[in-house]
Amino acid sequence: MELKEIQNLIKFVAKSGANEVKLEMKDFKITIKTGAGGKVTSIVQQVPAATVQVVPQTEIQAIPATEQKTESVNKKTDEANSYIEIKSPIIGTFYRKPSPDKPPFIKVGDDVEVGDTVCIIEAMKLFNEVESEISGKIVKILVDDSSPVEFDQPLYLVDPS
Amino acid sequence: MNIVKLDAINSTNQFLKELVKSNDVDNWTVVTTEYQISGRGQMQTKWISEKNKNLLFSVLIRFNELNANHQFYMNCAISLGIYKTLTKHKIEGLTIKWPNDILAGNKKIAGILIENALVKDSIKHTVVGIGLNVNQIEFPVLLPNATSMKLLLNKDFNRDLLLKEIVDNLKYYINFIEKKEFIFLKEQYEKVLYKIGVVHSFESNKEQVFTGKITGINQQGKLLVEQENKVIKEYNYKEIKFM
Repeated sequence: MELKEIQNLIKFVAKSGANEVKLEMKDFKITIKTGAGGKVTSIVQQVPAATVQVVPQTEIQAIPATEQKTESVNKKTDEANSYIEIKSPIIGTFYRKPSPDKPPFIKVGDDVEVGDTVCIIEAMKLFNEVESEISGKIVKILVDDSSPVEFDQPLYLVDPS
Repeated sequence: MNIVKLDAINSTNQFLKELVKSNDVDNWTVVTTEYQISGRGQMQTKWISEKNKNLLFSVLIRFNELNANHQFYMNCAISLGIYKTLTKHKIEGLTIKWPNDILAGNKKIAGILIENALVKDSIKHTVVGIGLNVNQIEFPVLLPNATSMKLLLNKDFNRDLLLKEIVDNLKYYINFIEKKEFIFLKEQYEKVLYKIGVVHSFESNKEQVFTGKITGINQQGKLLVEQENKVIKEYNYKEIKFM
Protein backbone atom coordinates (compact mmCIF):
# COMPACT_ATOMS: atom_id res chain seq x y z
CA MET A 1 0.00 0.00 0.00
CA GLU A 2 1.38 3.38 -0.95
CA LEU A 3 1.73 6.22 1.49
CA LYS A 4 -0.68 8.22 -0.63
CA GLU A 5 -3.27 5.49 -0.37
CA ILE A 6 -2.93 5.41 3.42
CA GLN A 7 -3.40 9.18 3.53
CA ASN A 8 -6.50 8.95 1.40
CA LEU A 9 -7.84 6.16 3.54
CA ILE A 10 -7.34 8.24 6.69
CA LYS A 11 -9.12 11.19 5.10
CA PHE A 12 -11.96 8.94 4.06
CA VAL A 13 -12.36 7.46 7.55
CA ALA A 14 -12.29 10.92 9.10
CA LYS A 15 -15.09 12.08 6.79
CA SER A 16 -17.15 8.92 7.22
CA GLY A 17 -17.76 9.59 10.91
CA ALA A 18 -16.62 6.11 11.89
CA ASN A 19 -14.80 5.87 15.20
CA GLU A 20 -12.48 3.07 14.30
CA VAL A 21 -11.61 1.19 11.12
CA LYS A 22 -9.41 -1.89 11.04
CA LEU A 23 -8.07 -3.13 7.77
CA GLU A 24 -6.00 -6.25 7.28
CA MET A 25 -4.13 -6.98 4.09
CA LYS A 26 -1.63 -9.64 3.27
CA ASP A 27 1.49 -7.90 4.53
CA PHE A 28 0.16 -5.44 7.04
CA LYS A 29 -2.65 -4.36 9.28
CA ILE A 30 -3.86 -0.81 9.83
CA THR A 31 -6.10 0.65 12.51
CA ILE A 32 -7.48 4.12 12.09
CA LYS A 33 -9.11 5.82 15.04
CA THR A 34 -10.81 9.18 15.05
CA GLY A 35 -10.41 11.16 18.28
CA ALA A 36 -12.95 13.37 20.01
CA GLY A 37 -11.48 16.50 18.44
CA GLY A 38 -12.07 15.12 14.95
CA LYS A 39 -8.37 14.38 14.56
CA VAL A 40 -7.30 11.07 13.20
CA THR A 41 -4.72 8.72 14.55
CA SER A 42 -3.66 5.60 12.82
CA ILE A 43 -1.59 2.66 13.84
CA VAL A 44 0.05 0.65 11.15
CA GLN A 45 1.47 -2.74 11.77
CA GLN A 46 3.67 -3.95 9.04
CA VAL A 47 5.37 -7.22 8.22
CA PRO A 48 8.29 -7.34 8.30
CA ALA A 49 9.06 -4.53 10.70
CA ALA A 50 10.09 -1.56 8.62
CA THR A 51 10.29 2.15 8.95
CA VAL A 52 7.14 3.85 7.84
CA GLN A 53 7.31 7.49 6.89
CA VAL A 54 5.37 9.82 9.07
CA VAL A 55 2.23 11.17 7.49
CA PRO A 56 1.27 14.62 8.70
CA GLN A 57 -1.20 14.54 11.59
CA THR A 58 -1.04 10.79 11.90
CA GLU A 59 0.74 8.44 14.19
CA ILE A 60 2.24 5.43 12.52
CA GLN A 61 4.13 2.75 14.32
CA ALA A 62 5.74 -0.29 12.85
CA ILE A 63 5.23 -3.38 14.93
CA PRO A 64 6.46 -6.87 13.99
CA ALA A 65 3.68 -9.28 13.03
CA THR A 66 4.64 -11.70 15.77
CA GLU A 67 3.35 -9.25 18.32
CA GLN A 68 -0.07 -8.99 16.78
CA LYS A 69 -1.63 -11.33 19.31
CA THR A 70 -0.98 -8.91 22.13
CA GLU A 71 -2.18 -6.07 19.99
CA SER A 72 -4.40 -4.30 22.51
CA VAL A 73 -1.75 -4.33 25.21
CA ASN A 74 0.87 -3.07 22.81
CA LYS A 75 -1.30 -0.29 21.59
CA LYS A 76 -1.70 1.05 25.08
CA THR A 77 2.00 1.05 25.84
CA ASP A 78 2.80 2.47 22.45
CA GLU A 79 0.40 5.32 22.94
CA ALA A 80 1.88 6.13 26.33
CA ASN A 81 5.37 5.90 24.91
CA SER A 82 4.57 8.15 22.03
CA TYR A 83 3.69 11.01 24.37
CA ILE A 84 6.45 13.42 25.21
CA GLU A 85 6.89 15.16 28.53
CA ILE A 86 7.65 18.84 28.93
CA LYS A 87 9.82 18.95 32.02
CA SER A 88 10.72 21.68 34.46
CA PRO A 89 14.17 23.08 33.67
CA ILE A 90 14.62 24.40 37.22
CA ILE A 91 13.41 24.19 40.81
CA GLY A 92 10.71 26.72 41.57
CA THR A 93 7.02 27.44 41.69
CA PHE A 94 4.89 26.41 38.71
CA TYR A 95 2.38 28.92 37.33
CA ARG A 96 0.01 28.08 34.52
CA LYS A 97 -1.02 31.71 33.99
CA PRO A 98 0.99 34.82 33.05
CA SER A 99 -0.69 36.57 36.01
CA PRO A 100 -3.49 35.60 38.40
CA ASP A 101 -6.21 37.41 36.43
CA LYS A 102 -5.21 36.00 33.04
CA PRO A 103 -6.23 32.72 31.40
CA PRO A 104 -3.73 29.85 31.46
CA PHE A 105 -1.02 29.67 28.80
CA ILE A 106 -2.27 26.30 27.70
CA LYS A 107 -5.08 23.83 28.45
CA VAL A 108 -5.66 20.14 27.82
CA GLY A 109 -6.52 19.68 24.15
CA ASP A 110 -4.66 22.82 23.03
CA ASP A 111 -2.04 22.60 20.33
CA VAL A 112 1.38 23.74 21.34
CA GLU A 113 4.07 24.90 18.89
CA VAL A 114 7.82 25.02 19.30
CA GLY A 115 8.63 28.32 21.05
CA ASP A 116 5.24 28.74 22.71
CA THR A 117 5.34 29.69 26.36
CA VAL A 118 3.78 26.86 28.36
CA CYS A 119 4.24 28.06 31.95
CA ILE A 120 6.17 30.26 34.33
CA ILE A 121 8.53 28.79 36.88
CA GLU A 122 9.29 31.35 39.55
CA ALA A 123 12.47 31.03 41.51
CA MET A 124 13.79 33.64 43.91
CA LYS A 125 11.61 36.35 42.37
CA LEU A 126 12.88 35.56 38.89
CA PHE A 127 10.11 34.68 36.49
CA ASN A 128 11.07 32.07 33.92
CA GLU A 129 8.85 31.66 30.92
CA VAL A 130 9.38 28.11 29.74
CA GLU A 131 9.21 27.67 25.98
CA SER A 132 8.15 24.39 24.44
CA GLU A 133 10.74 22.56 22.39
CA ILE A 134 8.14 20.31 20.83
CA SER A 135 4.87 20.73 19.04
CA GLY A 136 1.80 18.65 19.58
CA LYS A 137 -1.40 18.46 21.57
CA ILE A 138 -1.51 18.82 25.34
CA VAL A 139 -2.83 15.53 26.70
CA LYS A 140 -2.39 16.06 30.41
CA ILE A 141 -1.26 18.70 32.89
CA LEU A 142 0.74 16.94 35.56
CA VAL A 143 1.20 19.71 38.14
CA ASP A 144 -1.28 21.96 39.94
CA ASP A 145 -1.07 25.71 39.49
CA SER A 146 1.11 27.52 42.07
CA SER A 147 2.73 24.36 43.36
CA PRO A 148 6.45 23.72 43.84
CA VAL A 149 8.31 21.75 41.19
CA GLU A 150 11.66 20.03 41.14
CA PHE A 151 14.30 20.09 38.43
CA ASP A 152 13.30 17.73 35.58
CA GLN A 153 9.81 17.13 36.98
CA PRO A 154 7.34 16.40 34.17
CA LEU A 155 4.84 19.25 33.75
CA TYR A 156 2.86 18.41 30.64
CA LEU A 157 2.21 15.33 28.56
CA VAL A 158 2.19 16.12 24.85
CA ASP A 159 0.98 14.03 21.95
CA PRO A 160 3.44 14.98 19.21
CA SER A 161 1.48 13.37 16.37
CA MET B 1 21.01 53.05 22.64
CA ASN B 2 17.87 51.69 20.97
CA ILE B 3 14.99 53.25 22.80
CA VAL B 4 11.24 53.03 22.37
CA LYS B 5 9.33 55.75 24.23
CA LEU B 6 5.69 55.19 25.01
CA ASP B 7 3.24 57.54 26.61
CA ALA B 8 1.17 54.89 28.34
CA ILE B 9 1.29 51.15 28.19
CA ASN B 10 -0.03 48.15 30.08
CA SER B 11 3.41 47.06 31.01
CA THR B 12 6.77 47.79 29.40
CA ASN B 13 7.90 44.24 30.13
CA GLN B 14 4.89 42.83 28.32
CA PHE B 15 5.41 45.20 25.39
CA LEU B 16 9.07 44.28 25.06
CA LYS B 17 8.39 40.55 25.37
CA GLU B 18 5.88 40.76 22.53
CA LEU B 19 8.25 42.88 20.46
CA VAL B 20 10.95 40.25 20.84
CA LYS B 21 8.57 37.56 19.63
CA SER B 22 7.53 39.40 16.50
CA ASN B 23 10.67 41.30 15.53
CA ASP B 24 14.40 41.12 15.43
CA VAL B 25 15.11 43.26 18.45
CA ASP B 26 18.66 44.36 19.29
CA ASN B 27 20.31 43.48 22.53
CA TRP B 28 19.92 46.28 25.12
CA THR B 29 16.82 47.73 23.52
CA VAL B 30 15.02 49.90 26.05
CA VAL B 31 11.30 50.58 26.31
CA THR B 32 10.21 53.47 28.52
CA THR B 33 6.83 54.74 29.50
CA GLU B 34 5.46 57.70 31.38
CA TYR B 35 2.59 55.75 32.78
CA GLN B 36 1.95 52.08 33.31
CA ILE B 37 -1.66 50.98 33.34
CA SER B 38 -1.01 47.58 34.77
CA GLY B 39 2.63 47.67 35.75
CA ARG B 40 3.28 44.96 38.20
CA GLY B 41 5.80 44.28 40.86
CA GLN B 42 5.50 40.67 41.66
CA MET B 43 2.66 38.38 40.70
CA GLN B 44 0.08 40.42 42.61
CA THR B 45 1.53 43.74 43.66
CA LYS B 46 1.06 46.79 41.48
CA TRP B 47 3.66 49.43 40.84
CA ILE B 48 2.09 52.82 41.39
CA SER B 49 3.76 55.76 39.74
CA GLU B 50 2.82 59.36 39.05
CA LYS B 51 2.96 60.46 35.40
CA ASN B 52 6.14 62.10 34.05
CA LYS B 53 7.97 61.86 37.36
CA ASN B 54 9.75 58.57 37.47
CA LEU B 55 11.68 56.09 35.41
CA LEU B 56 9.68 53.12 34.25
CA PHE B 57 11.43 51.02 31.70
CA SER B 58 12.33 47.58 30.46
CA VAL B 59 15.59 46.41 28.95
CA LEU B 60 16.24 43.43 26.74
CA ILE B 61 19.37 41.46 27.58
CA ARG B 62 20.42 38.57 25.37
CA PHE B 63 22.85 35.90 26.44
CA ASN B 64 25.14 33.72 24.39
CA GLU B 65 25.06 31.14 27.07
CA LEU B 66 23.58 31.39 30.53
CA ASN B 67 22.46 28.31 32.39
CA ALA B 68 19.27 28.70 34.42
CA ASN B 69 21.20 27.45 37.46
CA HIS B 70 23.06 30.75 37.46
CA GLN B 71 20.00 32.93 37.18
CA PHE B 72 20.25 34.42 40.64
CA TYR B 73 23.26 36.40 39.41
CA MET B 74 20.78 38.35 37.31
CA ASN B 75 19.29 39.63 40.57
CA CYS B 76 22.81 40.56 41.72
CA ALA B 77 23.86 42.29 38.49
CA ILE B 78 20.68 44.30 38.03
CA SER B 79 20.41 45.36 41.68
CA LEU B 80 24.07 46.36 41.71
CA GLY B 81 23.65 48.40 38.52
CA ILE B 82 20.91 50.49 40.11
CA TYR B 83 22.76 50.66 43.41
CA LYS B 84 25.88 52.00 41.69
CA THR B 85 23.90 54.68 39.84
CA LEU B 86 22.18 55.89 42.99
CA THR B 87 25.41 55.86 44.96
CA LYS B 88 26.96 58.18 42.38
CA HIS B 89 24.12 60.60 43.04
CA LYS B 90 25.00 60.53 46.74
CA ILE B 91 21.90 58.86 48.04
CA GLU B 92 22.55 57.68 51.56
CA GLY B 93 21.70 54.49 53.34
CA LEU B 94 21.40 52.45 50.16
CA THR B 95 21.06 48.68 50.45
CA ILE B 96 19.78 45.80 48.38
CA LYS B 97 17.02 43.94 50.14
CA TRP B 98 17.11 40.28 49.22
CA PRO B 99 16.36 39.28 46.59
CA ASN B 100 16.14 42.48 44.52
CA ASP B 101 14.60 45.56 46.11
CA ILE B 102 16.61 48.73 46.35
CA LEU B 103 16.19 50.56 49.63
CA ALA B 104 17.29 53.95 50.89
CA GLY B 105 17.21 53.66 54.66
CA ASN B 106 14.17 51.50 55.30
CA LYS B 107 12.24 52.79 52.31
CA LYS B 108 11.92 51.37 48.84
CA ILE B 109 13.24 53.55 46.04
CA ALA B 110 13.41 51.09 43.16
CA GLY B 111 11.85 47.79 42.17
CA ILE B 112 12.90 45.18 39.67
CA LEU B 113 10.97 42.55 37.75
CA ILE B 114 13.07 40.04 35.84
CA GLU B 115 11.47 37.75 33.27
CA ASN B 116 13.63 35.12 31.60
CA ALA B 117 12.82 33.23 28.42
CA LEU B 118 13.96 29.68 28.95
CA VAL B 119 14.63 27.03 26.38
CA LYS B 120 15.59 23.82 28.11
CA ASP B 121 17.80 24.96 30.94
CA SER B 122 19.35 27.94 29.24
CA ILE B 123 18.27 31.56 29.34
CA LYS B 124 17.89 32.89 25.81
CA HIS B 125 17.10 36.38 26.84
CA THR B 126 15.84 38.37 29.77
CA VAL B 127 13.45 41.26 29.99
CA VAL B 128 14.29 43.40 32.99
CA GLY B 129 11.66 45.83 34.20
CA ILE B 130 12.81 48.63 36.46
CA GLY B 131 10.80 51.21 38.33
CA LEU B 132 12.80 53.98 40.00
CA ASN B 133 11.19 56.76 41.97
CA VAL B 134 12.87 59.91 40.75
CA ASN B 135 10.96 63.20 41.04
CA GLN B 136 7.74 62.03 42.66
CA ILE B 137 7.35 63.51 46.15
CA GLU B 138 3.89 62.39 47.14
CA PHE B 139 3.09 58.74 47.65
CA PRO B 140 -0.22 57.07 48.42
CA VAL B 141 -0.96 56.42 52.08
CA LEU B 142 -0.92 52.76 51.10
CA LEU B 143 2.77 53.05 50.39
CA PRO B 144 4.32 54.47 53.54
CA ASN B 145 7.55 52.74 52.74
CA ALA B 146 8.21 54.43 49.40
CA THR B 147 10.71 57.18 48.79
CA SER B 148 12.27 58.96 45.81
CA MET B 149 15.53 60.64 44.80
CA LYS B 150 13.89 64.06 45.08
CA LEU B 151 12.43 63.33 48.50
CA LEU B 152 15.88 62.39 49.73
CA LEU B 153 17.97 65.08 48.03
CA ASN B 154 15.44 67.85 47.50
CA LYS B 155 16.20 68.43 43.83
CA ASP B 156 14.95 67.35 40.43
CA PHE B 157 16.83 64.89 38.29
CA ASN B 158 17.10 64.60 34.51
CA ARG B 159 15.48 61.28 33.82
CA ASP B 160 17.03 60.77 30.37
CA LEU B 161 20.54 61.07 31.77
CA LEU B 162 19.65 58.83 34.66
CA LEU B 163 18.34 56.18 32.30
CA LYS B 164 21.57 56.18 30.32
CA GLU B 165 23.62 55.90 33.51
CA ILE B 166 21.57 52.96 34.73
CA VAL B 167 21.83 51.10 31.42
CA ASP B 168 25.61 51.64 31.35
CA ASN B 169 25.91 50.32 34.89
CA LEU B 170 23.72 47.31 34.05
CA LYS B 171 26.05 46.56 31.12
CA TYR B 172 29.03 46.79 33.46
CA TYR B 173 27.62 44.15 35.83
CA ILE B 174 26.04 41.92 33.18
CA ASN B 175 29.49 41.64 31.65
CA PHE B 176 30.56 39.69 34.76
CA ILE B 177 27.79 37.21 34.03
CA GLU B 178 29.00 36.88 30.43
CA LYS B 179 32.52 36.25 31.76
CA LYS B 180 31.11 33.83 34.34
CA GLU B 181 32.70 35.79 37.16
CA PHE B 182 29.90 34.90 39.50
CA ILE B 183 31.87 35.09 42.72
CA PHE B 184 32.62 38.75 42.14
CA LEU B 185 28.90 39.48 41.73
CA LYS B 186 28.01 37.48 44.83
CA GLU B 187 30.62 39.31 46.93
CA GLN B 188 29.58 42.75 45.70
CA TYR B 189 25.95 41.90 46.36
CA GLU B 190 26.57 40.59 49.87
CA LYS B 191 28.57 43.71 50.75
CA VAL B 192 25.49 45.89 50.36
CA LEU B 193 22.82 43.42 51.43
CA TYR B 194 20.12 44.85 53.71
CA LYS B 195 20.56 43.74 57.34
CA ILE B 196 23.57 41.58 56.69
CA GLY B 197 25.41 40.70 59.90
CA VAL B 198 22.72 42.33 62.05
CA VAL B 199 20.36 40.55 64.42
CA HIS B 200 16.88 40.97 63.02
CA SER B 201 13.38 39.50 63.33
CA PHE B 202 12.02 37.26 60.61
CA GLU B 203 8.91 35.26 60.01
CA SER B 204 9.24 31.84 58.47
CA ASN B 205 6.62 30.37 56.15
CA LYS B 206 5.47 28.27 59.08
CA GLU B 207 4.36 31.53 60.67
CA GLN B 208 7.03 31.36 63.27
CA VAL B 209 8.74 34.55 64.32
CA PHE B 210 12.40 34.22 65.12
CA THR B 211 15.50 36.33 65.42
CA GLY B 212 18.55 35.63 63.34
CA LYS B 213 21.41 37.17 61.43
CA ILE B 214 21.82 37.18 57.66
CA THR B 215 25.24 35.82 56.74
CA GLY B 216 24.89 36.00 52.96
CA ILE B 217 23.46 33.98 50.10
CA ASN B 218 24.33 30.57 48.71
CA GLN B 219 25.06 29.83 45.05
CA GLN B 220 21.39 29.46 44.20
CA GLY B 221 20.69 32.80 45.83
CA LYS B 222 18.97 31.37 48.89
CA LEU B 223 19.20 33.59 51.94
CA LEU B 224 21.48 32.28 54.69
CA VAL B 225 20.33 33.14 58.18
CA GLU B 226 22.19 32.22 61.34
CA GLN B 227 19.72 31.14 64.00
CA GLU B 228 20.04 31.81 67.73
CA ASN B 229 21.59 28.36 68.18
CA LYS B 230 24.29 29.32 65.63
CA VAL B 231 22.93 26.94 62.99
CA ILE B 232 22.75 28.53 59.53
CA LYS B 233 19.57 27.81 57.62
CA GLU B 234 18.84 28.44 53.93
CA TYR B 235 15.64 30.14 52.84
CA ASN B 236 13.92 30.30 49.52
CA TYR B 237 11.98 33.40 48.53
CA LYS B 238 8.52 33.06 50.16
CA GLU B 239 9.96 30.90 52.92
CA ILE B 240 11.00 33.92 54.94
CA LYS B 241 9.77 37.45 55.58
CA PHE B 242 11.49 40.41 57.16
CA MET B 243 9.59 41.67 60.20
